[in-house]
Amino acid sequence: MAGDVKHDYHLVKPSPWPLLASLAMLTMVLGTAGSMKGLFFIEQGNWWGPVPGFIALVFVLIGWWGDVLKESRGGDHTEVVQISLRYGMVLFIASEVMFFVAWFWEFFEMAIFHTLRANPAHSDLANPAVAPLLTWNEWPVGQVDGHAVKPFDPFHLPLINTLILLLSGTTVTWAHHALQVNDRKGAITGLVLTIILGLSFTALQVVEYMEAGFSYGGSLYGSAFFMATGFHGAHVVIGTLFLMVCLGRLLAGGMKPQKHLGFEFAAWYWHFVDVVWLFLFAFVYVTPHLVWGSGAPGLGH
Amino acid sequence: MANEAKHAAGHDHSHDHAHDDHSHDPKWYSPARWLFSTNHKDIGTLYLIFAICAGIVGFVFSGFMRAELAEPGLQLFNGTAFGGFFGTEHNYNVITTMHGLIMIFFMVMPALIGGFGNWFVPLMIGAPDMAMPRMNNISFWLLPVSFFLLVMSMFVPGPPGGNGFGGGWVLYPPLSSTTGHPGLAMDLVIFSLHLAGMSSILGAINFIVTILNMRAPGMTLHKMPLFAWSVLVTAFLLVLALPVLAGALTMLLTDRNFGSKFFEVSGGGDPVMFQHLFWFFGHPEVYIMILPGFGIVSHVISTFSRKPVFGYLAMAYAMVAIGFIGFVVWAHHMYTVGMDVNLKAYFVAATMVIAVPTGVKIFSWIATMWGGSIEFKVPMLWAIGFIFLFTVGGVTGVVLANAGVDHSLHDTYYVVAHFHYVLSLGAVFTLFCGWYYWFEKMFGIKYNGFIGGLHFWLMFIGSNLIFFPQHFLGLQGMPRRYVNYADAFYEWHHWSTIGYWVAAAATIVFFIGLLEAFVRRRKGEANPWGEGATTLEWTLPSPPPFHQYNDLPRVR
Amino acid sequence: MRREAWKSWGAWKNWALGAAASLLGGGSAWATPVNGGIDFQRPVTETAKRVQAFHTEVLIIITVITIFVTALLLWVMIRYNKKANPVPKKFSHNTMVEIIWTVAPVLILVWIAKGSFPLLYEQDVMFNGEQVEESEVVDIKVYGNMWYWDYTYNQNTDKEFIIESRMLKAGDEARPLKPERGDIGQLSVDNPMVAPVGRYVRLKISAKDVIHAWAMPQFALKVDAVPGRLNQLWFKVDEPGIYYGQCSELCGKDHSNMPIELRILPQAQYDQWLAAAQADPTNGGRAYLDSLPRPSATQVAAAQ
Ligand code: HEA
Ligand code: HEA
Ligand code: CUA
Ligand SMILES: [Cu+2]
Repeated sequence: MAGDVKHDYHLVKPSPWPLLASLAMLTMVLGTAGSMKGLFFIEQGNWWGPVPGFIALVFVLIGWWGDVLKESRGGDHTEVVQISLRYGMVLFIASEVMFFVAWFWEFFEMAIFHTLRANPAHSDLANPAVAPLLTWNEWPVGQVDGHAVKPFDPFHLPLINTLILLLSGTTVTWAHHALQVNDRKGAITGLVLTIILGLSFTALQVVEYMEAGFSYGGSLYGSAFFMATGFHGAHVVIGTLFLMVCLGRLLAGGMKPQKHLGFEFAAWYWHFVDVVWLFLFAFVYVTPHLVWGSGAPGLGH
Repeated sequence: MANEAKHAAGHDHSHDHAHDDHSHDPKWYSPARWLFSTNHKDIGTLYLIFAICAGIVGFVFSGFMRAELAEPGLQLFNGTAFGGFFGTEHNYNVITTMHGLIMIFFMVMPALIGGFGNWFVPLMIGAPDMAMPRMNNISFWLLPVSFFLLVMSMFVPGPPGGNGFGGGWVLYPPLSSTTGHPGLAMDLVIFSLHLAGMSSILGAINFIVTILNMRAPGMTLHKMPLFAWSVLVTAFLLVLALPVLAGALTMLLTDRNFGSKFFEVSGGGDPVMFQHLFWFFGHPEVYIMILPGFGIVSHVISTFSRKPVFGYLAMAYAMVAIGFIGFVVWAHHMYTVGMDVNLKAYFVAATMVIAVPTGVKIFSWIATMWGGSIEFKVPMLWAIGFIFLFTVGGVTGVVLANAGVDHSLHDTYYVVAHFHYVLSLGAVFTLFCGWYYWFEKMFGIKYNGFIGGLHFWLMFIGSNLIFFPQHFLGLQGMPRRYVNYADAFYEWHHWSTIGYWVAAAATIVFFIGLLEAFVRRRKGEANPWGEGATTLEWTLPSPPPFHQYNDLPRVR
Repeated sequence: MRREAWKSWGAWKNWALGAAASLLGGGSAWATPVNGGIDFQRPVTETAKRVQAFHTEVLIIITVITIFVTALLLWVMIRYNKKANPVPKKFSHNTMVEIIWTVAPVLILVWIAKGSFPLLYEQDVMFNGEQVEESEVVDIKVYGNMWYWDYTYNQNTDKEFIIESRMLKAGDEARPLKPERGDIGQLSVDNPMVAPVGRYVRLKISAKDVIHAWAMPQFALKVDAVPGRLNQLWFKVDEPGIYYGQCSELCGKDHSNMPIELRILPQAQYDQWLAAAQADPTNGGRAYLDSLPRPSATQVAAAQ
């Protein structure tokens, strides 16, 4: 029958990975639930809960993507299939963008309307549950512990981080071009540099987090800041891993000048992460700083 | 599209690797065929089976609600009835919440998008399968897992002294945060929806890629069948809307467990922010549920009128328009939260605009029938029923769009009536429409037309009886999500419950029809509908071969 | 017991009367929802009357649209079925009708919007934009709680007091429902909210735990009580009486058990109630109200 198939699409063989991945996710989610609230034999506060499911998921993904690589080498990724994969990756990134929309929306709502909601004219909300609100009439804001939020000065670490990411955007492009002209050494150098830059970004971000003048649970500001930048950070880590896998494949002799989807996708992803950061930098770091200066005006704790 | 050329080019040079293992089709009873499936038709069938199972649960839950509401006072949820089986008033809220979530995420969406989408998008556009068959499979398998979490949530602690989450399918904090439901139940609901959302996003990506990249040579977007168009638009809505819900759910989760303050007033958060995020997803979601149905109805109307679809392009772009506008009207669900009046005015205007493209569709369907030679086969009954009922549901939506009136009607049974007319009598009618239209194609056997007709008429009468009186209740001020009500609301609730029993009879008839067809196994034809059925799936045998279009069809 | 009730003629009569009354534009004497009623509860404020009139107008429009669609459907089903028209025509375009069915709905919607916006602004802009002396305004602070309402009067003055308003239940010892007094199940409360007739009343609404919603159908009012937010409402009623509303945002187990009872009194009686309630917020107000003759349905109607 092999001869009958007269198209170039890829009809994938039956695969156990999807089912196993779902079960791994179930395990992970139940484990997380256990850690949070206590479930089955997992006690509340035991943060090992999600680990088994996570490990299982990692194994499944290695198996899954391993199959993809095998199929790719086997010639299943014909031109038309490659187009599919490209569309797929673009759409995946689009969905990620919308995920960040949620976090930015939350941030803007706070930044723009906060003063409105915590308007002193409303301060007759003589309600114990909302009493802390009364100190909130300025932005950036006070925290539940009574201390004021001290936002970062965007032109220290955040600026350095911005430059790091921008630079990494150029190095990954360098690597890509090198690969396209079959300059494997150049590609490896570019990629190694990108990975190093990615790791330094993460490291600096950790330092920055440790120096934060506000806390995650201290106020909406802290929550919005840490979740937005935190999810970005998580994407940086994932992107770095993605690039590392590419590096590994490159070193192992994989990736051809004319076909290296994995590399392209890693590069796209990296650019996406980069752009998200530019937005974070512009709106979460710089704008508030320009508008309000650092330190909360009028809150002298 | 640029890839069209590549397409045709790729089509000619055949290659000789990796395909030899498809030589014989797996037996239907082989577990691996279903568990590890990478075949769009098998996965579609799995989705349909899943949707039927979930549909039964949602249906039984709606029975609990109708039984409770049959009379004033507490019938079931009073802590003692049936040995306390039903629990207290809180459990009524749990049942209502689960009914809403199950019907939406586990019945309508899997059936229309996962089921029919998987089955017929590739068949209609002349593709051998979906673009990413393995990803297709995980889109499916995440659903049972997600459903398991949702069901499990009903049996673990929710609010103090109760089990399960009873905060409505809209999950508003603080009722869904630690203030209202400190227990594990809500966390499980969040995870359940995370996974269901992931499933839908992956599925949607798959559909978009398949439709953009795998159309048969010659099938331009402007020649593509309307069902494929509807799934394309739906998939875009999913990709753009669901991640926002995922974000909102994540904020809720961290608020509950890690001390963040997104919706916590004590830290400057705002519960209304959740509503914005939720409805930014939630409103597109309602079009996600109806657009595939629009597509199905277009085919059915054209098939049984033996006439091409009237105004094909307008039909396609009306769906695109509905999708677009659907993203900018979300706050019409929030007219009473205390929004600025100018903002409300904007949302009033934007919302009403949607009536225009929807009207184009309604009138084009009628124009398709106009001049046709109509046969009233079972699918056509559901399609015509749908047009009427959706119009009723749609125009009450226009009433609700007017904030001034919505101040009276918000959170009353008028809203319940509105959305059941567009969902339970809209989306579900299109669901059955597609079911009867494609039954023979999918399973290769014929259903009994009489039973199908009986199913339609009982359902038509029953569901109208359930939901029409609810308009009256709503106008009289009967609030939603009430387990108990004043005597003055008794009359119409009573009729509504009677209607439920008629709908229940209909649903039983549906299953009898299913059983009958599978017991008798009357052999199906490739095209039972005759010349009116023009799309590609009717060129294949019923059921289609395990792999169709090894030689791609060419469209003129 | 209910089952017998509906079989009896009474329910049918009620339904017929209710339907007739609401169809005739609210000549009905009931102040509560009507069993079998098919329209709004009788509106009692100017705004509510306009809301109802506007709704009636839109209702007519959508009914006509629905009938039009139905008629078209019936027509094609009769004229173009297989028997009547064995050979289908093949046309699939007609630019003229397509333009018509795009433009006509637009015009209809513009017409609806023309009536809708003024109404919206009337409801949402305080006192419909009228300049009212602050001293003329009656301010009441409303809080939703799981699961009762509380009302603060004279807030931020030395006469400030808070009454808590909980549903009456048949057979409940602390708060028994007394039908002989005119109490209505699921609607009557122990301490009703009270406001004077003919004055601008401004409600400031919030909640202390989860979201609730304060609703008063006969005034066409509904606004969410959101923790951390302060929402405003205004009304002016010219008719003394007893009005009922119900919590309209899901708030947990007893969401259906936190109704709103609003007693509108003439100014003099209102003042006396204020004094009584301030002296004893738990029982004083209720005791005073019980000493008043309860406005009968006919009185309420006559006051109209
Ligand atoms: C399939 C699902 C679906 C669909 C298609 C719609 C369609 C519409 N909906 Fe609906 N809606 C829901 C599902 C849906 N809705 C749900 C689930 C809720 C409640 C959620 C919850 O709170 O739990 C809801 C709630 C809801 C509200 C909030 C009510 C409230 O909570 O207070 C509003 C308000 O604007 C609204 C409006 C509309 C409008 C204007 C349309 C329009 O798209 C309708 C357009 C169609 C027509 C108008 C008919 C055909 C047109 C013609 C024949 C042309 C001529 C017509 C005119 C000129 C008017 N809907
Ligand atoms: C698609 C969505 C959907 C559907 C089909 C239904 C169907 C029904 N609903 Fe649903 N309902 C909701 C969505 C839906 N509902 C939502 C979102 C809410 C709000 C929840 C909330 O407040 O949070 C709600 C709330 C709600 C209430 C209000 C509760 C309250 O506010 O207190 C009531 C009360 O009568 C009710 C009753 C019914 C009844 C009697 C049916 C009947 O029509 C049922 C008849 C049965 C069927 C129509 C299903 C049969 C289908 C199958 C068996 C599957 C077939 C599958 C294939 C062929 C593949 N529903
Ligand atoms: Cu309070 Cu509902
Ligand atoms: Cu909506």
